[in-house]
Amino acid sequence: MMRARKIAGSSKLPHLTAVLLVTVAGLGLAGCDDHAGDPKRQIGANPVLPEVQQYLMPPMRVAKVVGWGKDETPAVLQGLQVHALATGFQHPRSLYVLPNGDVLVVESNGPKAPIYRPKDIITGWVQRFAGAKAKDANRITLVRAKGDGTPELRTVFLDHLNSPFGVALVGNDLYVANTDAIVRYPYQDGQTSITAPGTKLTDLPGGPIDHHWTKALLASPDGSKLYVGVGSNSNIGENGIGAEYERAAIWEVDRASGAHRIFASGIRNPTGLQWEPETGKLWAIANERDEIGPDLVPDYLTSVQDGGFYGWPYSYYGQHLDPRIVPQRPDLVANAIVPDYALSSHVAPLGVAMYTGIGLPANFHGGAFVGEHGSWNRTPLNGYKVVFVPFSGGRPSGPAQDVVTGFLDANNHAHGRPVGLAVDRTGGLLIADDVGNTVWRVSSARPDSVSSIR
Amino acid sequence: MPQHATIMEATFTGDADLSSIAKARGRPIHKMLVSFSAAYFSGALVTDLVYWQMPDVMWERFSIWLIVAGLVLAGFAVVAFLIDLASGGQIERPALPRVVGYMFAVVLSLVNAFVHSRDGYTAVVPTGLMLSGLVFVVLSLTALVGMTLANRSRVGG
Repeated sequence: MMRARKIAGSSKLPHLTAVLLVTVAGLGLAGCDDHAGDPKRQIGANPVLPEVQQYLMPPMRVAKVVGWGKDETPAVLQGLQVHALATGFQHPRSLYVLPNGDVLVVESNGPKAPIYRPKDIITGWVQRFAGAKAKDANRITLVRAKGDGTPELRTVFLDHLNSPFGVALVGNDLYVANTDAIVRYPYQDGQTSITAPGTKLTDLPGGPIDHHWTKALLASPDGSKLYVGVGSNSNIGENGIGAEYERAAIWEVDRASGAHRIFASGIRNPTGLQWEPETGKLWAIANERDEIGPDLVPDYLTSVQDGGFYGWPYSYYGQHLDPRIVPQRPDLVANAIVPDYALSSHVAPLGVAMYTGIGLPANFHGGAFVGEHGSWNRTPLNGYKVVFVPFSGGRPSGPAQDVVTGFLDANNHAHGRPVGLAVDRTGGLLIADDVGNTVWRVSSARPDSVSSIR
Repeated sequence: MPQHATIMEATFTGDADLSSIAKARGRPIHKMLVSFSAAYFSGALVTDLVYWQMPDVMWERFSIWLIVAGLVLAGFAVVAFLIDLASGGQIERPALPRVVGYMFAVVLSLVNAFVHSRDGYTAVVPTGLMLSGLVFVVLSLTALVGMTLANRSRVGG
């Protein structure tokens, strides 16, 4: 329980201060160790969950951004190859492939965060260092690729948006999920730019705090409903429970009327939604809470039950209570659902694609690719890669496999960070890289080509 | 209080030199800064107690800003104190326990600022609240001891 030695040892303050800190810690006030375990123990249905730790100073460990050099690319598994579909974007966050094969690249970043506490100032500095405060274009760029995946056309598809993220096309209606509303635009096949004004379908929870700003969007197969991932307005309720109204939830929006209901709740930040191809069930990736340890709480991939409650903010992985929330809600916690598949802690999954294409090797068919943006508060760093979770019978069927790596080099410098994923018309996996400002395309290596593993 | 008028005058006179800013007529300006920071630290105990009884984030935010404001003023106080020393002043003997007591309170408050920067309930209860209480006790004892010693060996203003 006493970790006084550790605190004093890590302090650069003068001797007297160190002595006083030891005194304070000696009173049993603080715990500060940071021994991250093997992330592999937290992948799958039964992650190992350590005890909650509370910090004096939460660890901040951010990869220095260096960008991609000329001809540098991420590394891929044997049998695959990767190349840049297009470069020079401004903070590309998510991707959507239109039926004719055109790729929409959503260039976006969060709204300016308000300062409520001195900590918010520090957090702002750290995010700037990590490249997360890059100027955002608030637009969607269209890239039309030739058969071999090289671009032949690039236009500004939609401009003057408000921190957009999710996109969904139903018939001739193109829906864009801005951070504060779903807006509908008319779209004709082959169109490369939309100038018509949008029509608001419904408001979404936006400012003034808008802590988790991305709104993932997915249309139901019959096109009658839209599902929206709405993240929480805080890490763990520190902005008050009132700020969380209808947040940390997946909304079901009626496409005809714009009316919505909460489809599932207690999901801290559902950043990606997909239909599982075999069962037709809704699946989501979610970012779990921070600042209670390097191995808490694992981010996850889960099927989403209608009316289900997944714990946030009161508990995690079922009935593991979070001491930072008072008053507690035992009535809700009693029914909190354990997510299906842990991805390990702080990997920050921001993109998911269920693979139903045929372009990649057969073992990828039916499984889920997950884009892990990477940790900022864990040593060693975790994430910064695209993994593949195999599925069988509509359920994850094995450990996650690293498919695209090399975003982080041996010196822990970030060349890029993967975000949104999409599968293009010829079965290539597209990856938005919001630090490298590139869209990568992963495809099967041609039999005659050299393996691109570095 | 003519003495205070003199302090204000010296503080806000642009051409006053450093030594007279830091130490106007034997009443060092750092003492004023120390008083303000002590008031902020004590205020944080009040807002912590309110939060403990009624956990609304507003009180938690009041606490952390009060603590940080106290720390900033404490920083200024240290600077003023050092200028005072550098310009030929010396620590009066009775001031020594006050310096040690106050510095202890400041260090505790620094730790408290980190605790109060946690998210949610545990930013205050129990550790933050205990630290705010401890700081208040240390400051009170320091003031008490300081007053007693000052009365015993009063050298005049």
